[in-house]
Amino acid sequence: MKTEPFEEQVLSLLPLLRRYSRSLARSDADGEDLLQDCVEKVLVRRAQWRGGSLRSWAFTIMTNLYRDGYRRQKLHPPVELTDETAPQDSATEPGDPLEKQRLNQAVNALSPDYRTVLMLVVVEGYSYQEVADTLGVPIGTVMSRLSRARRQMAEHLSRSNIVPLRRPK
Amino acid sequence: MNTENNTVTENDLHAYIDGFLDEKRHADVEAWLAENPDAADEVRQWRNHAEGLRTLFAAYAHAEDDDRDLIATSAKNARFLPRWLPAAAAGLALFIAGAATGIFGQQLLARPPLQQTAFALTDLPAQAKSAFLIYTSEVRHPVEVGADQEAHLVSWLGKRLDYKLRAPDLKAQGFHLIGGRLLPVSGKAGAMLMYEDDSGKRLTVLIGRNPDNAETSFRFASAGSLETFYWIDGEIGYAVTGEITRQNLQEIAEECYRQFES
Repeated sequence: MKTEPFEEQVLSLLPLLRRYSRSLARSDADGEDLLQDCVEKVLVRRAQWRGGSLRSWAFTIMTNLYRDGYRRQKLHPPVELTDETAPQDSATEPGDPLEKQRLNQAVNALSPDYRTVLMLVVVEGYSYQEVADTLGVPIGTVMSRLSRARRQMAEHLSRSNIVPLRRPK
Repeated sequence: MNTENNTVTENDLHAYIDGFLDEKRHADVEAWLAENPDAADEVRQWRNHAEGLRTLFAAYAHAEDDDRDLIATSAKNARFLPRWLPAAAAGLALFIAGAATGIFGQQLLARPPLQQTAFALTDLPAQAKSAFLIYTSEVRHPVEVGADQEAHLVSWLGKRLDYKLRAPDLKAQGFHLIGGRLLPVSGKAGAMLMYEDDSGKRLTVLIGRNPDNAETSFRFASAGSLETFYWIDGEIGYAVTGEITRQNLQEIAEECYRQFES
């Protein structure tokens, strides 16, 4: 299949876009949807790309899609399926699956603004200034969101040491 | 960042964890933390969480076999999308475009398989619930193929499932078909049918293939206000999910069961 140079660049960015979309989304399915919406939007708007870092530009588009999507999703917040989402084949997963699940629940409890900043800094390795530029907010806002995100994560994890099991009736 | 040797601000602590301090400042903060055990504890926690998150999402930073298809499909969608076309009409236009060329119709409609990861949902009711939550709240594209093309819908999904699919008629229960979509169920092609009643309340029927499971059973699961009835019949699993009363849902599930079996 013939692809254009721009499309080749997007293709090579996909692994990073995939990680970022999943770090924002609440589930694999949501992450995959966000990724596809983002890729489509990047290709539709290719004429608006002013050169520079394609990654930054695509990440900004992804961030905006995530925030728009979250507003809509609030009408139907995902249900916590406490006993059914437990990882199944723990033997094949590196790391403690219960620990991963707790971490996942803790990030899912963050508001989207806090989550975005935390993921850009921690997972994507953005500098605070790069985060401010991506989100179009002052650096002071970035710092206060980062601080709240970290404190909320820590608080959530300190009280969720025990995972409740709820059996279907 | 603060450059006073003796004053360490919270921003310094974040920059310390995130690796944005120069050597000198890093050492200053380290020395300060040695004298402030509470802050040191907090910093240790934050750093552990950061490492945990990096590990958690690192698995997703990889290329997938059908990445090229994803780009090609999105590029075609992008090309077929005139700038002036209202968003609401876009989905329909894409479908018509895809169907008209007939070449990439399947690609357009197919979603790439989801990767199996730490929190992949492997059991049917959990997958049915997440599909319900994701798709019934979609305003623009709740389904890929609408009920106006029911014959095409069932033959297309049936082909992907390798199974003679039919869409149950639930009019007697007050629900009409709005359409369906292809989606992964336990890592394989599965089908979701969506129904709606006159008040706009939706329910979904998820059908998946699972060759490992030969057990036949009829079960019930609930999570919050969401109810699911599911059963596994040989290699095929079914799940009916809705935000309606258990009695109503059971009646609908039994009707689906009856129609799937006949």
